[in-house]
Amino acid sequence: MTNNKSFIQVRNLVKEYKTAYALRGVSMTVEKGQWINIMGPSGSGKSTLLNIIGGLDNSTSGDVIIDSTDVEALDEDHLAIFRREQIGFIFQQSHLIPYLTAVENVMLAQYFHSMADEEEAGEALKRVGLGQRLHHRPSQLSGGEQQRICIARALINSPGILLADEPTGNLDRDNTEIILELLDSIHREDHFTIVLVTHDPFVSKWGDRVLQMEDGHIVGDEFIKERVKGA
Amino acid sequence: MKQSWFFYFFSKSVSQRKGRVVIASLSIMLAVAVVTGLLGITSGIKEKLGSELKAYGANLIVSSGSGGFLDYDALQAISKLDGVENVSGHVFGMAFINNESIEIIGLDIGSLKETGWRLHGKWPLNEREILAGINLKDALQLETGKAVALSGENGIMEFIISGFLERGGAEDNALIVSLPHAWELLSIDKKLSVVLVRGRAGELAGISGNIEKTVAGTGVKTLRQVAVAEESLLKKIQLLLVLVTVVVLFAAMVSIMSTMGANVLERREEIGLMKAIGATRNNIRLFYFSEAVLTGAAGGAAGFIMGYLFTQAVSWGAFGSFIDIPLYLPALSVAAGLVISLVASHFPVVDALKYNPAVILREE
Ligand SMILES: Nc1ncnc2c1ncn2[C@@H]1O[C@H](COP(=O)(O)OP(=O)(O)OP(=O)(O)O)[C@@H](O)[C@H]1O
Ligand SMILES: [Mg+2]
Repeated sequence: MTNNKSFIQVRNLVKEYKTAYALRGVSMTVEKGQWINIMGPSGSGKSTLLNIIGGLDNSTSGDVIIDSTDVEALDEDHLAIFRREQIGFIFQQSHLIPYLTAVENVMLAQYFHSMADEEEAGEALKRVGLGQRLHHRPSQLSGGEQQRICIARALINSPGILLADEPTGNLDRDNTEIILELLDSIHREDHFTIVLVTHDPFVSKWGDRVLQMEDGHIVGDEFIKERVKGA
Repeated sequence: MKQSWFFYFFSKSVSQRKGRVVIASLSIMLAVAVVTGLLGITSGIKEKLGSELKAYGANLIVSSGSGGFLDYDALQAISKLDGVENVSGHVFGMAFINNESIEIIGLDIGSLKETGWRLHGKWPLNEREILAGINLKDALQLETGKAVALSGENGIMEFIISGFLERGGAEDNALIVSLPHAWELLSIDKKLSVVLVRGRAGELAGISGNIEKTVAGTGVKTLRQVAVAEESLLKKIQLLLVLVTVVVLFAAMVSIMSTMGANVLERREEIGLMKAIGATRNNIRLFYFSEAVLTGAAGGAAGFIMGYLFTQAVSWGAFGSFIDIPLYLPALSVAAGLVISLVASHFPVVDALKYNPAVILREE
């Protein structure tokens, strides 16, 4: 990785749909290892921004530079390769493959990245507290447990960036706290960069920095002085 | 390792959707069966064209122009004509064994010794012995040395089977008796159904003309004419089969396309997810085309078997014997299954590749 201080650079990002603007010129930088939460009302463009950073969607104009790669310039297959090397995603819905077990869902991400390794995938699940659930299918697990598989799947290939879109949106307070504590402890060990979208103020207690979005603009940017530690 | 995990995931994914895969394979099977049947029958029939004449070493067939019988005297007359090397008279009819109707062929049994047909048993040594086509052995539980009672127009006659003949033609299903026995069974007086003639090569047209002049009311056909007549009928059948094939192929394509389309649609989320975790377009193509290959190969192989059975059933019905199918047919059938499946899967897979994961993954 480079020693460029700004690991993620977004410049003047515009996303225009036929009927509306989702992003109206967003610029921001995120440093390597930083945990940033993006907040804002529904429809303010949070998911759109996250998806464009992760190369899942294209912008209308503007630049996204990650670790000195111009993401917007990559073609579809290079984007896929960029994602498998650099990005881990967690979504509000778990998007686990229903007929694969927990460990196999993690192995699928390994397979696309390089090589499936059951032992390593099992270790990753132990790390998120699912050591006893390796061979359960998603339907046999709770929502919180499913999201923990997603964390293991997102981080299995040691990406530089974790992009999380409402990862606790479907969870209750207790499970939300479990998930965020888990992310926090893994983040302290591995120092990847986190961009997390939420509209829940409770969630934004974790992390280093909060960006506020409204109507396709960034309207606030503040650092959290003291990061929550433990529960 | 990478491959083996792919196959593991692939097989889980397919067994998830067994029903659909089976239905897709079945529609390919039907299409391939029709194609295989068409090719099998066509090539088999070509081989059999004119074979009835060839089997007796004849190249001319003389029959009554009006469709009735020829007088036995015609045989003598024809044999004396210039250029005629050999003649044999045959009479065809039906008789019954235990109320089952059996085809009777009356001919000079001695002449069969030169044809090189396979004989299981012995040639008849006396008046009471006859031959049976090999297929009757099991069908009627006949045995050499045992008596059979044949009922004809004049009541019941008893014979002993001395052996079973095998040629791969209509004779395999018939009883072969001497001309006098045939006349007695059929209650006809010294008549022939056909006279097979071996004429000197190169003079067949002249010989045909002479025969028609000598024996009034006869029609003569050369081996080539017989073959051509059979072939023109074959062409008509072929055209029909080609039309049927086109329709069936089209139906199979549509069926695969909709099965694959449903497959892709059902798995939008999975495709979106695979893209998000870094699957390239080729990774995704591999999954769907593997399924298409599996469906196509399974359907193609099953279709070959079905088409083969169909071909043999038709051949059995038409010729009383089986057809040797060309060796390339199994490979061609599987290839046809693969082509149908891959072509039909192409469009749904192109759709899948176009899915925007950002849109799919936000769907509830
Ligand atoms: N495919 C699309 N076509 C048209 N408009 C779209 C499309 N996707 C998103 N939008 C619009 O873009 C704007 C931003 O959407 P986005 O999903 O980024 O919002 P969000 O901040 O994530 O909202 P939420 O909190 O509800 O998830 C919204 O007004 C939305 O209606
Ligand atoms: Mg959103």
